[in-house]
Amino acid sequence: MNRRVFLKTAGAGAGLGAMPGISRAQAKEVKLGYILPVTGPLAFEAQLSLNGLQLAVDEINNAGGVKSLGGAKLTLLSGDTQNKVELGNSEAARLIDQGISALIGPFSSLVAYSVRQVTEKNKTPFMLLAAVADNLTEGGLKYVFRMQPNGKAMATLTMNNMFEMAKAASTPIKRVAMMHEDGNFGTTMGNHVEAFAGRLGYSLVQRIPYSLKSPDFTAELSKVKASKPDLLVISGYYGDSRLIAETASKLRIGVHALVGLANAAYSNPKFIADNRELTDQLFDGNYWHNPQSPRAKAVFAAYEQRFSSTMTSHGVQAYMVIHVLKAALERAGSADRDKLRDALARTNLADHILPQDAIKFDDTGENVNATPALLQVQNGKPVVVGPARFAEATPVFPVPRWHG
Amino acid sequence: MTADLLLQAVVSGLLLGGVYGLVASGLSLIFGVLRIINFAHGAVMMLAMYTTYWLFTLLKVDPYLSILVTGPAFFVLGMIIQRLVIEPNRFAAEHNQLMLTLGLALVLENLALVLWQGDFRTVRPPYASASFMLGEALVEVPRLVACGGAVVMALALFAFLRLTDVGKAIRALAEEPEGAMLMGIDVRRIRAVAFGVGSGCVAVAGALVTPFFYVAPDVGESFNIMAFVVVVLGGMGNFVGALLSGFIVGLAESLGATLLPGSLKQLVVFALFVLVLLFRPAGLVGGGRGR
Repeated sequence: MNRRVFLKTAGAGAGLGAMPGISRAQAKEVKLGYILPVTGPLAFEAQLSLNGLQLAVDEINNAGGVKSLGGAKLTLLSGDTQNKVELGNSEAARLIDQGISALIGPFSSLVAYSVRQVTEKNKTPFMLLAAVADNLTEGGLKYVFRMQPNGKAMATLTMNNMFEMAKAASTPIKRVAMMHEDGNFGTTMGNHVEAFAGRLGYSLVQRIPYSLKSPDFTAELSKVKASKPDLLVISGYYGDSRLIAETASKLRIGVHALVGLANAAYSNPKFIADNRELTDQLFDGNYWHNPQSPRAKAVFAAYEQRFSSTMTSHGVQAYMVIHVLKAALERAGSADRDKLRDALARTNLADHILPQDAIKFDDTGENVNATPALLQVQNGKPVVVGPARFAEATPVFPVPRWHG
Repeated sequence: MTADLLLQAVVSGLLLGGVYGLVASGLSLIFGVLRIINFAHGAVMMLAMYTTYWLFTLLKVDPYLSILVTGPAFFVLGMIIQRLVIEPNRFAAEHNQLMLTLGLALVLENLALVLWQGDFRTVRPPYASASFMLGEALVEVPRLVACGGAVVMALALFAFLRLTDVGKAIRALAEEPEGAMLMGIDVRRIRAVAFGVGSGCVAVAGALVTPFFYVAPDVGESFNIMAFVVVVLGGMGNFVGALLSGFIVGLAESLGATLLPGSLKQLVVFALFVLVLLFRPAGLVGGGRGR
């Protein structure tokens, strides 16, 4: 035996000896990375998502981890995007280098659009969180998945929910006016509401994009009032949505209802608490949980106990994304990114807390059953009033106060 | 297009225009005397709005009454800012002074973000939702008060500049800095006073809008951008022009919203801005500093 052969066999032996150790170590944890704007202007919302991620991870780990991986624990690795595209890319690349099995994030559609190229190149499953732009799953990508409704589902299903509710209340909707902020989010919503008019058989009598910074909407809303719509749909952020509702109320706008579409204010508990009178009986189509689900009640209680605040839809989405990943890891029996990706594509998760049927992904990675809930503020609380099978309260429609 | 809609547009435009005018008067005064474009003007307004908010929330001080506190307090704060930040850089290149005020705005906005988070806060005294109909046009009482208060404040500013010695010194400095210095005017002090008065004006404007608007760290931007347009329209450094063109911009904005589709109302205002810069760089109302 010469020296070289000795080294080879010894190396192999050492390798063999080490192998079980390594695979045992690997089975101990599965790394999941998130990129969120944890600092910067969206820090507060990002924290709400992060709470949801942590809640789910701890729940899974305390229940024995991923069983098919010998009880492997989930570990969260963190990345901060500060809501910037460059940071999104570099943080995603860093986390992938650190051996994550999947990436979660990043809130902003703009950041997501860029990061999805990094994850695709590195063959890493990318679970979108909060990013709503339709085009994020376009382009034949294999590794991007989105559990929540995208812009199109959000807009069309909310209009659909409103129409079914109106039909049930025998007050059909014929004329719709829409006001939306003139950025990417509002414009996307506006386009869908306009495109959907023919399908549902309403006419869009006014469509008014507006600047978020506008300090007065009296002229715009007078125009809306003059066009005599049955419904006023509003896609906007916080301050603008408040100003619009307030001015509409003063103008006695004369519609059957004010409906937010993915509105940042109208189903926001803080907004409602601060504006009790104004928000009474506002509608909003938005991400939500299924209030009928006993599991949702338990999750909310756990969240409340741990973070001393009420779980929000950001938390709900984050919580469920972890469970979708966990179920896929169980099926894959491996933390390998490609195996996880294939397992994710076969997702059929019926045990969840969302207002929808089983979570399933189509070829583009969109959840085929993703549905927004139709909410109405009643007694100072947003409650689910549609779709009917998830409803926890009867809708008030038409809303008398808007005719006042 | 009905007459009712036009009437509403005119009413809303004029009501908001008064506030634009007051914000712009302060900006114009600061430009006239210090020759700097104060990007931090909106941030000062934001701080005044927070002051109004906290006075109302913690001490139950009526937002209009709080002007008696915010006005003088921000006059002093303005003088301090000028002394500590602006004055030492008086001989710096113009673009550096521009960056300086822009930096100051960013610091103040981010400070507000750290101190009070990005939450939108509102001040709603009992009369906040009071309104009446003028023909077919809605008049919101808080907006009417804001407009009226802004005009009164602007007139008081005008009287101050015309009738008092300090006011005359400010105008002298705006028109002829070297001459003013030769005449024995304490130009260093007057510069600080002018910045203080400008800040006081915008603080009053901030308090006046709080009952119908919201308070957030970036709220000043809504008014500041318009104020730049107003200042240019009125002639840089022309205080009376600023008030008048405040009304013009308010009207242009709301008529634009009524007559044109979509978010073109901003386009009308900024088109006006570019046209004035191209064809009447001295301003619509007739140029000149210190008028």
